[in-house]
Amino acid sequence: MNKLLRTSAIAIIAAQVAGGVSAQAINESELSDPRVRQAIAYAIDMETIAETLFEGAAIPALGLTSDANNYPEGMNSYSYDPDKARELLAEAGWDGSRTLDMVYYYPDQLTADFMAVVQAQLGDVGIDMTYRLLEGDVGAQISGVPDDPVNGPSVVDWDILYGARAAIANQEYFNRFAEGEMPTVPTVDALVPLVESVNATVNPAVQRAGFQEMEGIINENVYILPLYYQQLYIFESDRINRNGAPYGNEQYNYNFDVVNWTVEPNEDGELVAYTNGAPMQFFELPWQNLGIWVHSRYAFDTILEADGTLTPIGGELAETYEVIDDGMTFTFTLKDDLKWHDGTPITAADVKWSIEAAAQAPITHPVVSTTLSRIEGAEALASGDADGMSGVTIDGNTVTIKFAVLDPNVLLTFSQFAPLPMAYFEGTDPLQIQQNEFWQKPIGSGPFMIEEARMNEFTTLVPFPDYHGGVAKIEQIIALPSADGDANLIRNAAAFRADFGYTKNATDVPSLEEMEHMTVRPVNIPYTRMFWINQFPRG
Amino acid sequence: MLTYIARRLLTLIPMVIVISFLIYLGLELTPGDAVSHMIPPDAYGSMDEDRLQELRESLGLGKPFLVRYWIWISGVLQGDFGYSLAGGVPISKIFLDRLPATLELSIAALLISTVLGSILGTISALTRGSLTDQSLTVVGMLGVSIPEFFFGLVAILIFALNLEWLPVGGRTLPGYDSFWDRLPHLVMPAMVLSIMMTAGVMRYARSSMLDALSRDFIRTARSKGMPEWRVNILHGFRVALTPVIVLIGFRLPVLIGGSVIIEQVFQWPGIGKEFVSAVRSQDYPLVMMVALFSVLAVLVASLIVDLLTAIIDPRVRLGD
Repeated sequence: MNKLLRTSAIAIIAAQVAGGVSAQAINESELSDPRVRQAIAYAIDMETIAETLFEGAAIPALGLTSDANNYPEGMNSYSYDPDKARELLAEAGWDGSRTLDMVYYYPDQLTADFMAVVQAQLGDVGIDMTYRLLEGDVGAQISGVPDDPVNGPSVVDWDILYGARAAIANQEYFNRFAEGEMPTVPTVDALVPLVESVNATVNPAVQRAGFQEMEGIINENVYILPLYYQQLYIFESDRINRNGAPYGNEQYNYNFDVVNWTVEPNEDGELVAYTNGAPMQFFELPWQNLGIWVHSRYAFDTILEADGTLTPIGGELAETYEVIDDGMTFTFTLKDDLKWHDGTPITAADVKWSIEAAAQAPITHPVVSTTLSRIEGAEALASGDADGMSGVTIDGNTVTIKFAVLDPNVLLTFSQFAPLPMAYFEGTDPLQIQQNEFWQKPIGSGPFMIEEARMNEFTTLVPFPDYHGGVAKIEQIIALPSADGDANLIRNAAAFRADFGYTKNATDVPSLEEMEHMTVRPVNIPYTRMFWINQFPRG
Repeated sequence: MLTYIARRLLTLIPMVIVISFLIYLGLELTPGDAVSHMIPPDAYGSMDEDRLQELRESLGLGKPFLVRYWIWISGVLQGDFGYSLAGGVPISKIFLDRLPATLELSIAALLISTVLGSILGTISALTRGSLTDQSLTVVGMLGVSIPEFFFGLVAILIFALNLEWLPVGGRTLPGYDSFWDRLPHLVMPAMVLSIMMTAGVMRYARSSMLDALSRDFIRTARSKGMPEWRVNILHGFRVALTPVIVLIGFRLPVLIGGSVIIEQVFQWPGIGKEFVSAVRSQDYPLVMMVALFSVLAVLVASLIVDLLTAIIDPRVRLGD
């Protein structure tokens, strides 16, 4: 797949035409001059960094999205060319005494090493750069718009931010270009109608044309500098057998078919499997990071089902579904006799309540939140003028959703959206839904139910006997609270206490691969590491 | 003595209020808040800031600093410790869940280091200048100077991964809840946590014992024909114990706070790990209560040390 991605990119690069610099500096900041940004792009030898520092565990990026079908002809690869970088800096009148302040928020050593390499390569073309790790509340340090966006001063105190965008919908990469509410993303007039166009259709061809045009504009002006596409690594011990279940983007919900997984019996003859990611203080609302936690994916079923690439492929809780009225109505019927883990029936009323609550919850995933905000009556609910959404109606087991504004990601949203049992949230303000005590031991709808939850210690999950997809074969899953990038994951794996899971931390991979009983499988995911450039002038 | 204790306890109140205010102020001066920390940095650019602001308001974070502090401190004085902002869990529940684990680890480490450190320090003093004394001094220096996390990782490698004698981490496993079930999990973290303190106690006990052994009353005891072991243990060791008790008394609260790294290395579900996480996420009700607990632990330990010193050393008069 990596080779395929690279080959596609090379084919496009081969057809490139030299693109001129169309934009001009928009404010006092040198970084608002596109020639300076292009020079930075030319100065970084990402191919070599990927092969050496990242040991091949990074795919040099061409566009914001990793899907080569989104690239227009003529995309500039900004292949390493320090002479070109110096030339552009000279044209832009780069002030050699200026020191760029680079910040990042990944605390691992690999990132620090990457920063050191970038510092050296920029220094080689005459750009001084310092770098530092953002500590504490990162969100507050990377956001904020100055009162005077043209003259500044910038609210944030850095020039370049090394970060990432993990998106399940392509629109997530581009929508902010039409809003301009972040230091990291400028409002670009040419992109505004394109953003509107890709959000106003479900036609893939129209969306594709919009994505291509936007990728071209961003690439030419380097509004954001995409660096590399990161992979996700699924690890499993030789005790686990997925029995043909697919491997996919483990951060989201897909047809992983855990019901049919098996595990070698332990010394007591029990079918117990270990994993990581147990909660530290509470179970996270599955509407926030969707399938990122094992307990979210295994304890909660979604309305629809997606495959490993997150393409919706059928119903999960839904028996049937259809999108009608040119995409303005989505209707689905729940399977018969669905039950929550407490034995009570899953009803269409639970689903309606969940949709309305998720629309009001402040930490709902942006793609889900955007879809729900476009339902008829969503505005009235948000403003307090209505108690529910007029666009969501139920009839028996059937839920019908009418949209006021077309949403391009309806099926994607509902393949990731897990309803909750409303009986447990009576009187709860959706604003504080995560603060409900329900999240100490949640009641779900998925193939495994929470048996015991000792925060920061372990969580055990056991098969749900009334699961609509059959009873899982593994008798108990023990989740320990180590996460990816946490040295405890490696120690647990070495001690046979991590039978399956995933990590996005490339430095975990060699250690896991060294263990005879572990297998590591890389998976391409839409996750782009990039340099975000502060669009506002600093004081 | 009761009057003295009451007076000391009363002085704790203003001290706690002043210290808690300073900690609260420190949190206030840190950029950001608990709500923006709920969103991963990679996703922050896609979130609806208006909704996050609504959440801030609903959690009371929009109120002025002094008003928030007043609400918090008056709640605490009425026994209401509040809720964690991140997950809405009552602070009292978090304490009840985590504190026993930290106390279990700290007390085990304190016992090991006290017994071992006192014995080795005394042996070192009694064999002053010998190979044993010099060896113990070197071991003590190593114990003080090598970081605990290093000992922890080496111990895991040897005893958990290679020899498979002890579990790699955690406090227990599902279905194994008794103290005896937990004991194998406790051994490594307690031993590692106690290393630095053992070395400290040993060095302190040695110098204290040497000091005691050079006093006049020791010579007097010897001149009376008292057996050497009685001179050393009954007279020397008892006097030497006073400064060691002061050291040990002040170590318990430090151990509670200082077990953070050990809790991380051994996946020990204690309050230290929770505190670090709360500080990073600016979960101020939780940070404040852990900080308050630590302050109280230090102040109470100080009181206990004073009382014990007075009991052991007749020359000390309380309230003087």
